[in-house]
Amino acid sequence: MMPEMNHEGFWVFIEQIQGKISDVGLELLGKARELADAKGTYVGAVLLGDIPHKEAYSLLSYGADRVYLFSHPLLGVYHALAYTKLIASLVKREKPEALFVGATPLGADLAPRLAAVLETGLSAHCVDLRLGEDGILEQVVAGFGGSWLAVIVCPERRPQMATVMPGVFKKPEPTKRDGEVIPEQVEVKESDLVPPVMEVKPKEKKTVALDSADVVICGGYGMGSKENWKMLEELAKLLGGAVGATRPAVDEGWAPEEVMIGQSGKTVHPTLYIGAGVSGVMHHVVGIQDAEVVVVINKDPHAPFFEVCDFGVVGEVEKVLPVLIKKLKERQEAQKI
Amino acid sequence: MPRAVVCVKPIPDPKYWDRLSLDPEKGVLRREGIPTVINPLDKHALEVALDLKDRFGWEVVVVSMAPPDTLNTLREALAMGADRAFLASDRALAGADTLATAYTLAGLIKKVAQPCDLVLCGNMSLDGSTSQVAPQIAHFLGIPHITHVSKVETKDGKTFKITMDLKEVHMSFSCDSPITLAVTKEVNLPRLVNIMGILAAEAKPLEVLDAQGIGLDPSKIGQAGSPTRVRNLFKPEIKRRRKVIKGEPEKVVEELLNNLHQVGVL
Repeated sequence: MMPEMNHEGFWVFIEQIQGKISDVGLELLGKARELADAKGTYVGAVLLGDIPHKEAYSLLSYGADRVYLFSHPLLGVYHALAYTKLIASLVKREKPEALFVGATPLGADLAPRLAAVLETGLSAHCVDLRLGEDGILEQVVAGFGGSWLAVIVCPERRPQMATVMPGVFKKPEPTKRDGEVIPEQVEVKESDLVPPVMEVKPKEKKTVALDSADVVICGGYGMGSKENWKMLEELAKLLGGAVGATRPAVDEGWAPEEVMIGQSGKTVHPTLYIGAGVSGVMHHVVGIQDAEVVVVINKDPHAPFFEVCDFGVVGEVEKVLPVLIKKLKERQEAQKI
Repeated sequence: MPRAVVCVKPIPDPKYWDRLSLDPEKGVLRREGIPTVINPLDKHALEVALDLKDRFGWEVVVVSMAPPDTLNTLREALAMGADRAFLASDRALAGADTLATAYTLAGLIKKVAQPCDLVLCGNMSLDGSTSQVAPQIAHFLGIPHITHVSKVETKDGKTFKITMDLKEVHMSFSCDSPITLAVTKEVNLPRLVNIMGILAAEAKPLEVLDAQGIGLDPSKIGQAGSPTRVRNLFKPEIKRRRKVIKGEPEKVVEELLNNLHQVGVL
């Protein structure tokens, strides 16, 4: 069977929460721009919310050619059925060839329902998107905790849909570009919102510098205690970096869930990554594969991380880290003179 | 009697994932010899249902789609306290992606557990990690869904307050009609199986149905009903220098810093 014909354009669903546009949508606009240029087609952005017109224009500078805007007070808060209905009818009318959604909780709630309504394929939590030689979108997903990667395609149905983890693609620099904002009709009533929303409570804001950090110091189970964890913070401070953690370290309560690195946590892109007491299981390693230089410190010379690091120090973190901190301080002092 | 359906996915025991190997001819992973366990989050979904059974006398039905050698996982669900269990199992179901899986499970639910008041799933499976099946089951059942559910509250077993954990906000919904929920581990602590439960499970109905028995449309199941295909399966290749430094702390740190300086990151 041939692919459904006349489908054109790479689209991105732009997530907003409480009126603030999430970075993942902008990251995906950058990728969609690249794919659309390679295929000679356009980039569409789909934005729903209680959003002023001018806010939608900002998306043009991140790579969109057309922004489809559904603005309505009842759309300010996410609602699966209302959002699905509006986006599905737009997709059926405009026939894009692909639609990308951030693999955030909101995106992971919306995209599967939308794909089912559109009777098309959807791949989850992609770690890469690229065009195959046949022009079909290749969606790279990780399975079994990241120990296997699979290339998923949707050969016949359109749009080809994928959710993508935040941080996988870089947010583009905004540039001045032409394009149009297309206001869409919104017919939605309070009674359409089933089940009704009772309340929306902002969670306590924790700022995480990890996403954009140039140096990431990551602690694992081998750090051994909350007391030892302080060495990581000191090291991060010395190198102007941020502290991350593995799942077991988060489970021990040494670090908050927000800084967890790996398949079910964050993807980071530092110049330098130092893992201390980290064994290097695949679902952690997939979160740091874009790091330029990877250092691991672990007392077990058989830890899997030694196979996939640049520099592996065999030694106990309690002994190596204080020396590392001391010597870095010495070097920094020497540079000041 | 109000009824909860819990969807359970048998997965290869994560302890043995290093034993998974690629079948180059079929392009699938070989799982032979690896024991199957209930996907951990599905136990939290089951616990939500069992709590409703304990407090308000709900019936708890477990459904699954898998090869027949995974029946042990359904027996475990019955031993935890579920009343009946059904497995959709058929060669024609093999190769299903999430859309075909959701169509199949929704068909099974319509066949064996109608009407149902709540459909409960784990928010994601550890092996495939798609988180896609629950909203798609809801679509095929024609009911709403909420994923990332961190709290299920009810005073009467009729009206529910459901809390969804989006990263930036908590949203809560008021539900009093059928809905599909996908729960996270924050929702509860699943009970353990005890010997009484295991003995009681032996007398409970456990049935295997094939595609025809469920009344499924052959064009919507298995590989035929799946819009997506796996084009390629591979182990991630990571190119690194792999230089190992051993010795006394003073010496190794010095060598490490020199190396980092050389490659230009310090």
